Amino acid sequence: MLCKNRRQYDAKELEAASAAIIAMAKTFTVTVQRQDNPHGGKYSESFELPYEPGMNMTTVLQRIAANPVTSDHQTSAPVAYDACCLEEICGACTMVINGCVRQACSALIDNLLQESTGPIDVKPMSKFPVVRDLVVNRKPMFESLKRVKAWIAVDGYHDLGAGPRVSVPQQEEAYPLSRCMTCGCCVEACPQFNDKSSFIGPAAISQAILFNVHPTGSIDREHRLEVLTSPGGIADCGNSQNCVKVCPKEIPLTDSIAKAGRDTTLYKLRQFFGR
Amino acid sequence: MAHPTESVSLQDKHYFLIRRLHSLLGLVPVGAFLCVHLLANATVLAPGEPGGEFQKSIERIHALGPFLVPVEIVFIFLPLLFHSLLGFQIVFNSESNAQQYRYGSNIRFMLQRVTGILAFVFIFYHVWQMHWFGKPVGGGAFELHSESGAATGAITTAQAIQHAWWIAPVYGVGVLSCVFHLANGLWTSLITWGITIRPQSQRIAGYVCATFGVILGLIGMGALSGFRTFDLKSPPPVVGDAHANIADHEH
Amino acid sequence: MAHQNVVVVGGGLAGLAAAMRLAEAGLHVDLISMVPVKRSHSVCAQGGINSVNEYTRQQGDNEWLHLDDTVYGGDFLQHQPPVKEMCDWAPRVIDLLDRLGVTFNRTNEGLRDQRRFGGTLYKRTAFAGATTGQQLIYALDEQVRRWEADGLVDKYEYWEFLGPILDDQGQCRGVVAQDMFSMEIRSFRADAVVLATGGCGLVYGRSTMSMICTGGAAARAFRAGVNYANGEFIQVHPTAIPGTDKLRLMSESARGEGGRVWVPKKPQDDRDPMSIPASERYYFLEERYPEYGNLVPRDIATREIFDVCVNLNLSVEQDRLCVYLDVTELPATTLKKLDGILEIYEKFQGDNPRVVPMKIFPAVHYSMGGLWADFERDDKTGGMVIGSPRNHLSNVPGLYVIGEADYQYHGGNRLGANSLLSCIFTGLFVAPTIENQLTSLKNGSSNDAPASLFDGAVAEHKQQMADLIARNGDENPYQLHLELGDSMTRNVTVVRRNKDIESTLSKIAELTARYKHISLADKGNWTNQNFSFTRALGDMLLMARVIAQGALQRDECRGAHFEPDFQITAPDADDPATLRKQATTWCQSFKKKNEQWLKSTIAKYTPDGVEFSYEDVDTSLIPPRPRTYGLKGAEIIGEVWSEMLAAADSDKEAKVGT
Repeated sequence: MLCKNRRQYDAKELEAASAAIIAMAKTFTVTVQRQDNPHGGKYSESFELPYEPGMNMTTVLQRIAANPVTSDHQTSAPVAYDACCLEEICGACTMVINGCVRQACSALIDNLLQESTGPIDVKPMSKFPVVRDLVVNRKPMFESLKRVKAWIAVDGYHDLGAGPRVSVPQQEEAYPLSRCMTCGCCVEACPQFNDKSSFIGPAAISQAILFNVHPTGSIDREHRLEVLTSPGGIADCGNSQNCVKVCPKEIPLTDSIAKAGRDTTLYKLRQFFGR
Repeated sequence: MAHPTESVSLQDKHYFLIRRLHSLLGLVPVGAFLCVHLLANATVLAPGEPGGEFQKSIERIHALGPFLVPVEIVFIFLPLLFHSLLGFQIVFNSESNAQQYRYGSNIRFMLQRVTGILAFVFIFYHVWQMHWFGKPVGGGAFELHSESGAATGAITTAQAIQHAWWIAPVYGVGVLSCVFHLANGLWTSLITWGITIRPQSQRIAGYVCATFGVILGLIGMGALSGFRTFDLKSPPPVVGDAHANIADHEH
Repeated sequence: MAHQNVVVVGGGLAGLAAAMRLAEAGLHVDLISMVPVKRSHSVCAQGGINSVNEYTRQQGDNEWLHLDDTVYGGDFLQHQPPVKEMCDWAPRVIDLLDRLGVTFNRTNEGLRDQRRFGGTLYKRTAFAGATTGQQLIYALDEQVRRWEADGLVDKYEYWEFLGPILDDQGQCRGVVAQDMFSMEIRSFRADAVVLATGGCGLVYGRSTMSMICTGGAAARAFRAGVNYANGEFIQVHPTAIPGTDKLRLMSESARGEGGRVWVPKKPQDDRDPMSIPASERYYFLEERYPEYGNLVPRDIATREIFDVCVNLNLSVEQDRLCVYLDVTELPATTLKKLDGILEIYEKFQGDNPRVVPMKIFPAVHYSMGGLWADFERDDKTGGMVIGSPRNHLSNVPGLYVIGEADYQYHGGNRLGANSLLSCIFTGLFVAPTIENQLTSLKNGSSNDAPASLFDGAVAEHKQQMADLIARNGDENPYQLHLELGDSMTRNVTVVRRNKDIESTLSKIAELTARYKHISLADKGNWTNQNFSFTRALGDMLLMARVIAQGALQRDECRGAHFEPDFQITAPDADDPATLRKQATTWCQSFKKKNEQWLKSTIAKYTPDGVEFSYEDVDTSLIPPRPRTYGLKGAEIIGEVWSEMLAAADSDKEAKVGT
């Protein structure tokens, strides 16, 4: 299924279409890929729901939880899913909807119904172990943050005055990178991030760059570059650039990746020539 | 360090170097050789005596004499082999999802891998068919000199290309795969090496690489059509027809 | 020391600040959180974090004025020493965050930029775009990850706190928690337990809060004997985007940066809002509160929006209550600072707020009240004694409460951008207390406590789980939650009337009875979210009772608790003499009201029900004064009140003299 960037929707077109949807159908169908536990088999179930204006995918999952009856009138268990803030800032509710990875909370049903004529298709992310239904374990992503020391190694939390001065352009460069919510969209869409490869993924690379450009964060710069030049590091990137297109926070991940390319090259050259 | 105690394989230890080498070798010498090779072949289209200009350009190369083989091995075959073998590993470690995420860059990612494999197969075939390396196994159609005439290089090449209807199309696909793989590889290497960072510069680099690819592709296709349409009627028959040898084709 | 263990429950700003500071002190921390800590509700905070800064100091601002704004905004219901301490530390807290790499917006010179927030006249608020909470929690999350890599912090993410473990002496010796994936229930030994479990917005069904803000953890501590204070003080944020699953916050920073609230003067004017001329727009906040304009404290903004929509029938839409929040006049550079929140509107409403005014309405947002916590006053500074064993200690020894989960800092109403401050401050400040406490443990370390204590607690929770799963009635937990939220939202939010609150209380009683006949759609033992929600529903019913009962008993208007039946009639005469007389009456009523109600509500759980008592408020630093934002005759009331205070003082002196 073709993944369309949300911002490509034309507002007028949308409005007309959603009016048409309301007029046409009072209900719609959602097909959910289910899995009872990490070892269980996958199966799919369909649920028919009454349409409500302004509905999103988390509302759908809430409605299913309240009344878990499938389209063929079988009572099932509520669909397990991750969700927290519901305003696309926590990153919890990432799933693959109509073949495209995104947050359930900002996946508006009006848009989803437009994407295909069939039922809305919901699956868990495929790059992480499934815990149950749509819940996956994204721990590897957090472990990667540990590997690249995605933090600033300050001396302590006692009062040492303000941090270093940061120019407006520096802040404007760092802020977008620091909006990464470890939601997993970038690695889900990355063809290089899979079971066969140890690729650390765009999110961690971008975080390494974020901390490398910070005046104090750069204490650990060499460590981060060392990680990025080790197996699974930057050289595993294949430049498919899916990451930057699916990132819900529009983080310039490919900028970070290219910067990591430059920094690691220079770092290794310096190392080779003994600085 | 991330893995302090585990004993690491040689590849893991020099992982970054190896991957950068892969990228570099793809451009220089392999990519550069492709350009030279296609340009040289395109001289078959030069006006004057058919195949004369081509003959001159290949003779310049063969002027290396006894050094030619070592140069070929060190600067072409070994880098190519390294680039291909690591390339296969890269291909098999990725899981293309261009069906699902149909972004231009993702489709190019998939094509880079597909053309890599096609190029490898094609080059294998091409070397067998043309290079004297292939002679012991029935290939090696290309001859630089023969008693029959001055343009032996072009004639033997053209004979090989024109020998069966499917050979020219195979060359078409093969050459275009090589060209795409090089042009797109050039674009990604600019990112890999950190030369183009911002989307704007990557976009501009994209146009430049695409133009480069189109031109190189045209040169390659020009050369191919030159050999494809090379007039074989006038010169006398020659030795060393690869397919004839294999298929026991009548002479 | 090394074997001593602290359990921190909750991985929001407060919990993370505590964890990193405790780890720095060399204490091992088990950090328990229902979600990966990076996804805690603190990420939703948008606007910023307050502190006095060099810029405001030039204008005469200082920590004392920050304290004054906070307690005045909170209608004097908070103990003042903790607030004083917090305001004193605020500049240093911001400095620390700056050092941790928070991407605060910058001035041309590279210093932190500031904006103005509600309830103050100074630009005290540092911010990082419109996602300050996210930026702050990420900085702390990173620090905790650093300690995690060093082995001093163990995270238990997707673990749910079920209750504290108290020994025979009533000392907290650990907690019971449940793995939300495997449903395993186990105990965690601890020499100190810190609850940083946030607010309870889900009691209202839909609010601006995250799905985890059920108040479940607070209710479980409450059941175990921790008192709950000022539950009825629930902040309703004036500006939120109505949605089917939640009400999404539209930050106060939209107004801080110059956004204006208005409605068309003609009810439900169906013209394009941009074509309505200024003369036909009612900028009601600016007209009613010329000094603060659109930046009046939240409770007041909320009430005015409510009043304009409900009483004046000026809602923008016919069948849905809302007003315009208009940022279309702002310059592009200002709008850029608001991108984060404007995107939310765009994404969830489909309109571009840069060219069309946003439609917003108030929504439940923050729990000022919370679990009761102590403090020790420093008589020299007026603040708290640093490292005192009493700071943030609940009435259960060994159990500390910080962040939104405690009741201490915001009184009757919280000022914008003070919550991020209070959360981080309390997290950092509780650490020296625990450090000192652990070096002088009376009953030895939790390792010495008998295994039976922990096993017994685990067995008890397992039994409760089995009982709940075994229920086999015909009630649907989601339906009960819907009904609870409806009733609470209707009767216990902006405008409260005792008879309405009573009806909600009987509704809660009815729902509590029906809860006994609840039936789970999922009775399995693996990642059973249905069970988790249903258990939390039981907790929400308890929290609802605490909130509603507290509201019913408090017969006054204070901060977010507004009961029009007990409002003191505002002076309205034009004649100065009459006005002064009315003001005097007003002040007398105000004095009487304070004598009776300037007290914290303390709820105590007993097997027979919830018992309420009232605790005096420490107002030793700034004497309470009438909160007269926008009141007619505010000046005269202020004057009369000062005279009354002066007279009372001289009375006292005279008595001492004789």
